[in-house]
Amino acid sequence: MSIEVPVKTAGMTQPDSAIAPKEAPHPVAMQVKGLNFYYGTSHALHDISLDFPERSVTGMIGPSGCGKSTLLRVLNRMYDLYPGQRATGEVIFDKQNILHSGVDLNVLRSRIGMVFQKPTPFPMSIYDNIAFGIRLHERVSRSEMDGRVEDALRRVALWSEVQDRLSASATALSGGQQQRLCIARTIAVRPEVILLDEPTSALDPVSTARIEELLDELKTEFTIAIVTHNMQQAARCADQVAFFYMGRLIEVDSTARMFTTPREQQTQDYITGRFG
Amino acid sequence: MGNEPAHTITRYDQELDRLRGIVARMGGLVERQTAQAIAAVVNQNEEAALEPPELDPEVDALEREAEMLAIRILALRAPMAVDLRVIVAVLKMSGDLERIGDYASSIARRAAKVEVLDGAISFSALRAMARLVQENLHMAVESMVENDAERAQEVWKADTAVDELYTTMFRELVTYMMEDPRKIGPCIHLLFVAKNLERIGDHATNIAERVYYAVTGEMLPSVRPRGGAARTNIEQPE
Repeated sequence: MSIEVPVKTAGMTQPDSAIAPKEAPHPVAMQVKGLNFYYGTSHALHDISLDFPERSVTGMIGPSGCGKSTLLRVLNRMYDLYPGQRATGEVIFDKQNILHSGVDLNVLRSRIGMVFQKPTPFPMSIYDNIAFGIRLHERVSRSEMDGRVEDALRRVALWSEVQDRLSASATALSGGQQQRLCIARTIAVRPEVILLDEPTSALDPVSTARIEELLDELKTEFTIAIVTHNMQQAARCADQVAFFYMGRLIEVDSTARMFTTPREQQTQDYITGRFG
Repeated sequence: MGNEPAHTITRYDQELDRLRGIVARMGGLVERQTAQAIAAVVNQNEEAALEPPELDPEVDALEREAEMLAIRILALRAPMAVDLRVIVAVLKMSGDLERIGDYASSIARRAAKVEVLDGAISFSALRAMARLVQENLHMAVESMVENDAERAQEVWKADTAVDELYTTMFRELVTYMMEDPRKIGPCIHLLFVAKNLERIGDHATNIAERVYYAVTGEMLPSVRPRGGAARTNIEQPE
């Protein structure tokens, strides 16, 4: 019950910056322009144009079969491993269209690393899992290699857990540890871009949180693109989110805006659980 | 906000519907409280004066129910986009509605104390203000129930007239108090009645702003049209 009235406030209105804080835009690390992709005769990606800002996380969401993983596989020419798959358009990385046939794929894949849904440790020691990638691209001394391995394991917060058993088999690690090992293997070759294809879908919540925390640290140094089925994960990790549906990019915007005020009805229906 | 296609999870839709139902019921109750409070003062209807305080516990209980349900949905459904905006709007609107109920009760309780002024001073400004506030509140509640952003914007614009009428009443009552200091007590009660009405108008405007945001995703500007110059006179009476 009130007799004394409260002072009038400005109501609910607030500056827009509270929703989408304005930051200096990051330069673009990778730019997809007018990309089309075909599995044989099936047209899987339609005229996709999307910028991946440097040192930030781009989340890619959408229902199964929407093309988000296909796009990820185009970004480091993974599709070249399969016959009948082709891409048209441009993916500009370091001023070069990486879709050109002259591109050295080994070099490209060392600069644009990839982590998969299921942890894929090699059947060798923890140490050699990390050293393997480095040896492919560089010649380093034993002591330097030790340093690189330790550094990579520290960056994924695995060092304290495995430093006493570096020569033990990597397959003996837990799922979450294996996935962090795979990320360590990826960053050990010092890439510029890291592509992650549902990296936590096989992990428990604690391991998932650790990977997400790791992404937050890694993005200060790397450009990250992550495909995820988990909308909350995109909300937690990504700086910008792109929504794909039936091979088309429907909408891309800052994460806060995508999850509070998407512009497109299809985006809204998907993220609020109204179709699929 | 209720005009979206159905969720894949039916229970989620049912919970959101229940949440909307609670604030719609609150809207109906506080409209009733406000109407009865105004009747109590303007028509000196003693019976009407009893009703607003009697309805208060029900309004308070509904506010708590809305809050608990909203928290539950936030925790269990992780709502996004329009759903998130609606739930946050409901949380805030239920607070606005509860305050409106309180102000209406306060007005009703003062009805007997201003009786002595009936006939001595004109209640015309008060009547006009009461009519406007009731209209705005009704439109705000309707915009809330029908997810009508356009009507919400009308309410938001219409509050200026209420503020101006309040200023008129303020001047009228100050003059009257100077002329007849024996009536200062009842006049102050009447002034509080007017102030409470003005506050109800403000909360109706808040509701309209929240409806507008929930429906469109856009915020109305932070400065809304209002009688700014008149306000200065209220805060620094000569």
